[in-house]
Amino acid sequence: MDTSRSYLEPSSFSKKLAATIIIVYTVITLIPISWMVMTSFKNVNSAISYPPEVFFEPSLEGYVNLFTNRSRQSQEYLDSLPPPENWYEELVRSREMVITGPSKFLGRYSNSMIIGFGSTFASVFLGALAAYAFSRFRVPLKDDLLFFILSTRMFPPIAVAVPIFIMYRKLGLGDTHLGMIILYTVVNLSLAVWLLKGFMDEIPKEYEEAAMIDGYSRLQAFFKVVLPQAMTGIAATAIFCMIFSWNEYAFAVLLTQFNAQTAPPFIPTIIGEGGLDWPAIGAGTTLFLLPVMIFTIILRKHLLRGITFGAVRK
Amino acid sequence: MAKIELKNLSKTYNKKIEALHDINFTIEDGQFFVLLGPSGAGKTTTLRCIAGLEKIDNGSILFNDESVTEDQPASRDVCFVFQQYSLYPHYSVYENLAFPLRSPMRKLPEEEIKTKVESIASMLKISNKLNNKATQLSGGEMQRVAIGRALVREPNLYLMDEPLSSLDAKLRESLRVELKNIQTNLNSTILYVTHDQAEATTLADKIGVLKEGHLVQIGTPEEIYENPNSIYVSQRLGSPKINILPGKLFGMDDVPTFGIRPENITIGTGNYSAKIISIENLGSETVVALNFKDQEILVSIQGNYKSSINETINFDMNNEKVLRFDQKGNRIYER
Ligand SMILES: Nc1ncnc2c1ncn2[C@@H]1O[C@H](COP(=O)(O)OP(=O)(O)OP(=O)(O)O)[C@@H](O)[C@H]1O
Ligand SMILES: [Mg+2]
Repeated sequence: MDTSRSYLEPSSFSKKLAATIIIVYTVITLIPISWMVMTSFKNVNSAISYPPEVFFEPSLEGYVNLFTNRSRQSQEYLDSLPPPENWYEELVRSREMVITGPSKFLGRYSNSMIIGFGSTFASVFLGALAAYAFSRFRVPLKDDLLFFILSTRMFPPIAVAVPIFIMYRKLGLGDTHLGMIILYTVVNLSLAVWLLKGFMDEIPKEYEEAAMIDGYSRLQAFFKVVLPQAMTGIAATAIFCMIFSWNEYAFAVLLTQFNAQTAPPFIPTIIGEGGLDWPAIGAGTTLFLLPVMIFTIILRKHLLRGITFGAVRK
Repeated sequence: MAKIELKNLSKTYNKKIEALHDINFTIEDGQFFVLLGPSGAGKTTTLRCIAGLEKIDNGSILFNDESVTEDQPASRDVCFVFQQYSLYPHYSVYENLAFPLRSPMRKLPEEEIKTKVESIASMLKISNKLNNKATQLSGGEMQRVAIGRALVREPNLYLMDEPLSSLDAKLRESLRVELKNIQTNLNSTILYVTHDQAEATTLADKIGVLKEGHLVQIGTPEEIYENPNSIYVSQRLGSPKINILPGKLFGMDDVPTFGIRPENITIGTGNYSAKIISIENLGSETVVALNFKDQEILVSIQGNYKSSINETINFDMNNEKVLRFDQKGNRIYER
């Protein structure tokens, strides 16, 4: 006898159906990603073999190629060298090449990290402050301002690429981390303000009022009681901002070259001699995927935790 | 604790809705002041203005003869039990109670906080819930935590907006007694809002009656009950509620309306006769509804009353207790 089941709980049939749909969907979406990860662990030959190999001997060649610059050498020259010092030199020499130095990938990758996380933090922080002000204070022309903020997203950002390019050159912001952080923050801010305003509107003002009466200033109350309760919104906003800044390509191509270039414009340049170096591209895209994935997984618990407004009687 | 004074206080919401109009009253140090009034009368607004959560349009608020009109809520040092009690949902019950003590204005040492929180918790019978999240409580428990969060401090003034409304009768009664004890022991000043008769009359030293943003009468519970200055005020207290009847019905041609409380009518003998519509036995008293010339009149009788519906009986009024009102509903005092 099943007395514990509530009427609101779905029946076991619909649960099974849902599970099946989710599993099928997951498999479909995971195939390209797992193919990419698999490619990153293949060697140059098995990556392009036909029919495609599902079972193969894993190799780190892709990752070695991703992180190094190499040049092809004659067999005589290779024989004249002292024996390889480590496994990756050995791997490269077996392809009749020598390592000439580290590639730019690590630098580009850390640029992506700095600019991605920097602009995400700035967007969420500034967005939260603005959203709080719009949500709680009587701001003159509030609706017009909010519409203005939204309107900055109505055209594709790249439409203003030329003026921004010229402005950045004049201001010395071109190809700098700060410049890219500012740019991505500006683009993300409208989304952040709107998303967070929605969440802040949902938080009853009684909480801050109680805190203010309990002896805290409004700013302290904001940090102590409003922000913790806006965590769901902050997590969602942060993920959206991060995804945009992490993936942004057009501005990165236009405004960065050496110093502040991010990973997206770099990855297509990983092309080997005599054809595309698929394992290296696979390795680059796999590594590129990881941070956003980890970031989302970390923030996920805040998204799922739901909204706990139960302690205010309505 | 402090003496609180409101002078000519006015408050208008959004430049349109006049919530409070020229409010004047004083709460003496150590006084228990109760605000009465129907929904929308401006009770919560009064409390919010005193706490500093609303900017006032006009007038001033004095604590111990010093103006706090321009002060921030935190520096006014008052406690507020909200009508919509608002516990911090991301904190445990313990953290909720400790929150005011940890504020930058107080910063008590942890040990002292612990002692205070635990003693308040045991008084409010929530000791076993201290580790619960604020969201994992019943409505009544939440309300007790909200009261506790006010009582951990000794502020200038306690503001309480219907703090006992969602408790069951037994708990409400015991907390009412507890609250009165605390108030007398600590000699605290309390401004209290309630709809509950019993709370108003048992707790209050003074009652203020609000009507559409106007403070229409201030007095002791006895004064408000025995000597209301309008029909409106007379209807605030008393259960069953006061009978408001046209004067003509009883041959008082110069009195448009009069009021008589149900316990001031006697049944059995008298000059008037009426039909019994209903009999409600409440245990210690019985409420009998009469139909007299198509007007319903409530009579309250001590103890049990045996009779049957539709029976015709005689009744009489205690003329000394009759409250006479003019056309506008204001009291006509004896000439
Ligand atoms: N934030 C606000 N904005 C506009 N009008 C308001 C606001 N708060 C209250 N009012 C109005 O002010 C008047 C007084 O409201 P208040 O909340 O003080 O009533 P109350 O006496 O506490 O009623 P209740 O017993 O229902 O709690 C009401 O007419 C109400 O609609
Ligand atoms: Mg109210």
